[in-house]
Order: sequence, then structure tokens, then C-alpha cells
Amino acid sequence: MDSLEVFAVESAIASEQEFYRKIIEDNLASLKLAPAIGKIKVVLRPEDSLFQMAILLRDVGTRVTTLDIADVEAKPVAGEIIISIKKEQYIPELLGKLWDRYGKANISQPDRWTVAISTDKPEEEAAFLKDMMVADPRHRLHENLVDFAIRVTPEGFRVRYHLYKGNQFIFVASEEALKHEWIEEAGTMLEELTKGGKR
Amino acid sequence: MAVLRPYLYTGGVHKHGLLIELLEDLGGYIIQQVITGTEVNLIMLIPEKDIPVVKKQSDELLGILVEAPLTGVEIAVVSPTLASHHLPHSACDVAEYLRHPGANTNMIGLARGMGRRVSLSMDYERKLINEHDIAVFTFGSFSDCIINKKPKLFEGIEIPIVVTGGPDLKTEDVPGADLYVGNIGRTSHRLRKTEEVSALDKLNEEVGKIADNIRKQQAKDPLAVLPARVMKEIENQIPEIRTVLSPAPLTLQLNGLRVKLPYDEFHERLEKLEFDEGVTLSELANISRSKMKNYILIKIKSKSDVGFTI
Repeated sequence: MDSLEVFAVESAIASEQEFYRKIIEDNLASLKLAPAIGKIKVVLRPEDSLFQMAILLRDVGTRVTTLDIADVEAKPVAGEIIISIKKEQYIPELLGKLWDRYGKANISQPDRWTVAISTDKPEEEAAFLKDMMVADPRHRLHENLVDFAIRVTPEGFRVRYHLYKGNQFIFVASEEALKHEWIEEAGTMLEELTKGGKR
Repeated sequence: MAVLRPYLYTGGVHKHGLLIELLEDLGGYIIQQVITGTEVNLIMLIPEKDIPVVKKQSDELLGILVEAPLTGVEIAVVSPTLASHHLPHSACDVAEYLRHPGANTNMIGLARGMGRRVSLSMDYERKLINEHDIAVFTFGSFSDCIINKKPKLFEGIEIPIVVTGGPDLKTEDVPGADLYVGNIGRTSHRLRKTEEVSALDKLNEEVGKIADNIRKQQAKDPLAVLPARVMKEIENQIPEIRTVLSPAPLTLQLNGLRVKLPYDEFHERLEKLEFDEGVTLSELANISRSKMKNYILIKIKSKSDVGFTI
């Protein structure tokens, strides 16, 4: 867990702090989020039924284009584009995009590693496909972050606020109606983290 | 009346029938028999004076015979809800560990037990919990919640209440609890560190003491018939029980038993269940519809109610 630059959990009672630290560690591990998170700070106030969390994310992988996962080859004579897959994990996303653009009838998969598209303008289309965005890891990260936040929050805290902007993530949860100060406090926590943060 | 002691036998399937036959000859009872592959687990009640005889037979079969103090105890493990926050860890770990000394555990997730101000239990849930012998509530990590907010879930619970939670509190701190065991709070990992396992050991030991206390109270005004004897009679007189696929078709409790057969179809036959002494079960026990599924709940009356024991 040392890969995290800052990992702070604050609560009035030290032992309870430790319990929550462990819960957060376990959930980070099971969602494989640890590499994506640079700094994290959590403040617990059970007497106010309040849970605040501020996270500063690391630069996660850039967008994945077709060229990152496959070779694209235009066959002008046959009127075809052949895509040879190198990384299988993004095939569902790639196929989804291709179906939308060319229609299912024009796409065939002769084998597991090949996708063939029949088109009138193979060369132009191939040039377009090479730079097409296939998947965005940030989107997946967002889903995981929200899941993570819900898992670590005490279950009864059903009133939630969350903000995800750039590499910043704020999460505030409570059982009562949220107060503006609480969200502002979480904002301050995030600022502290950005400036360096206290360990 | 012979004093029966609960024991757990673990050994190979080979020739384990000898042990069952011996037990029948001695007047003991088999409570539960679990065969997994080539291994067999027998939970049984042995007459106290005959324990050395059974021990000798078990040694001959190269099995292990250990005392199982929670045999014949049905425990409700109550978690605030069935959400992933509480399950499978730690509530399931607690339930699983309580089974080691022979208890039958049922997991109960309340519908709205989570939270501080908003947590509550329903009448149906309270009645269901009250059907058990002991209730174990698995709470979280905040002492403030355990001391000030969660005890309202104990309202209407008439059986002994055991509470597990993270912080190291004293039993007196938790209003309404008969026992508090710390170090078993909310976790997202399996309980297997030394301090966690020793907390579970402590839980088993203390729950065993509570069960012993209930037994001692009962000894002052004994039950009209032993639950284990009713169990045996049901097995003999209602053969349909053998077709039930539930893990424990007949679940023993300290003062009765749960029969996992549909109430409407079978309750009359159970009421007419006859004993050698010429009495029927309805004279000795209250037979009612269980809150759990459509099962039958038998609560045996005490000697002072019936006027005699058999």
C-alpha cells in the first residue's frame, strides 16, 4: 500500500480509524484501484453520521485507439479492410463501434484474431479507423471509483454527493440531509491533498 | 434420567455404522450425520457414563471424538442487512465458526437494520429471531453506534443477545446485550488473523457458557421430554422427513425443535405423534407454524406445565 503517496484516515477514536483504513485497503485491492490513486484522505464523524472522502487520481492510461490494439490494413482491390487484433480485451468495444459505422452485414470475423470490413473506400476508411477511439479507461475508472465509494461508506449513509472532475474525486455521504459545509470541507481536504497534503 | 453429553465425531466412512449401532444400544442419539466424500461427521448425544465406551470404539475406527458444547442449539446470526457491507465477511465467518462446536446457525438479514437513526426491525423479524435459542448481532466498527444507536434493534428480543463489533467494549457498555465480543467488526476480508480468530474462539466459548446457563435454568424445571427423543420419534413415525433436502431437516433447539416439513400437511400427524408411555406430542409441546418458510416449530412444555416427564 506504500505506492500511495498519501493515505490518511481520520476519526476521533484511533482504533476505529484503523478498522476503516483496513476496509479501504481491502476494497482498493479488490477493485484494483490502488495504481490509479495518488492520494486519498477519508474523514469519519460517526456522531454526525458523516463520511467524507477526497481522492487525487494519478494519470491513468490515455485513450485506446485502434492502432494500439490492432493492425489495420486496406485492400483497395478487394474493397476490404482487414483488422488484425493484437489485444483481445478491447474487442467488444471495437466491434460495437464498427457495427454502428458499417452495419453488421458488412463485418465478418473469419477467425478470432481477424475482423474484415467490406467498404467502397477502403483507404480513407482505414485512415479513419487507425485513429478511432476504441475505449476510454477513464470511464471504467469512474465506475470503479463510485463502486469503491459505496462499498467503503457505512451502509446506512444513503444520502450521497459525488464530484468527479479531471483527476479529482470527492465523495460525501451521510444519513441526514447533506450540509453545504460538509461538501466544502471535503473540497478543502482535496485542496490540501493537491498542495502536498499531510501524512 | 441419564445425563447426555454432546460430542462430535470426525472420521472415515469405513465402518462408521458400528459407532451408530453402539450409540443406539447405549441409548444415545444421533443429532446430525454429514457424509462428505470419504469423511463422516456425526454430532451425537452420548450418555455420560458410557462416554469411555464410545471413545474406545471411535479410537478403534481411528476417528476423532471431541466435545461439541453447542450441539442442539439453534443460533440466529443477525446482520443489519444482507448487503455486501456485512456479508460474506464478517457475518458469515461468525456463523461458520459457531457451527464448529455443533450449533445450527441461521443467517438473518434485517430489511432495514442499517444506519443510525433510520435502523429498525419489523415485528415479523423479531418473532423469527425469537424462535431461536440465542441471537448473535454482528455490528460494525463505531463504538458510538454500538452503544447509542444499534441497541434499539434489541427491542422485543426475548432470547439472550450476543453482540459482535469492532471496538473493544465491555458488555455493560452495550445496553440490552448479554455479551459483547470485540475485534469482529466490519471487514472486507476473511477473518483469519490471529487476533480475529482468537476473537471468534472467545465468541464460541462465551456463547457456550450462555447455552450452559440456559441448560442449568432448564434443569430446575426440566422439559417434559428431551428434544432429541422427539427427534428420534419423528424419524421413526414420519418417514417423509427423510425426503427433505434441507441440511438439517430436524433442527434441535434447547427447548424444542424445528421440523422442516410444510405445516398444513404435517402438523396433525405431529400432534398425534405417540410415545411408548402412551402420551402424544400435543400433550407435551406447543406445535405452531414457524416464521421461517412454512416450517413447523415445536416448543416443549416444562414439567411444571405438564405435571410429568417421560
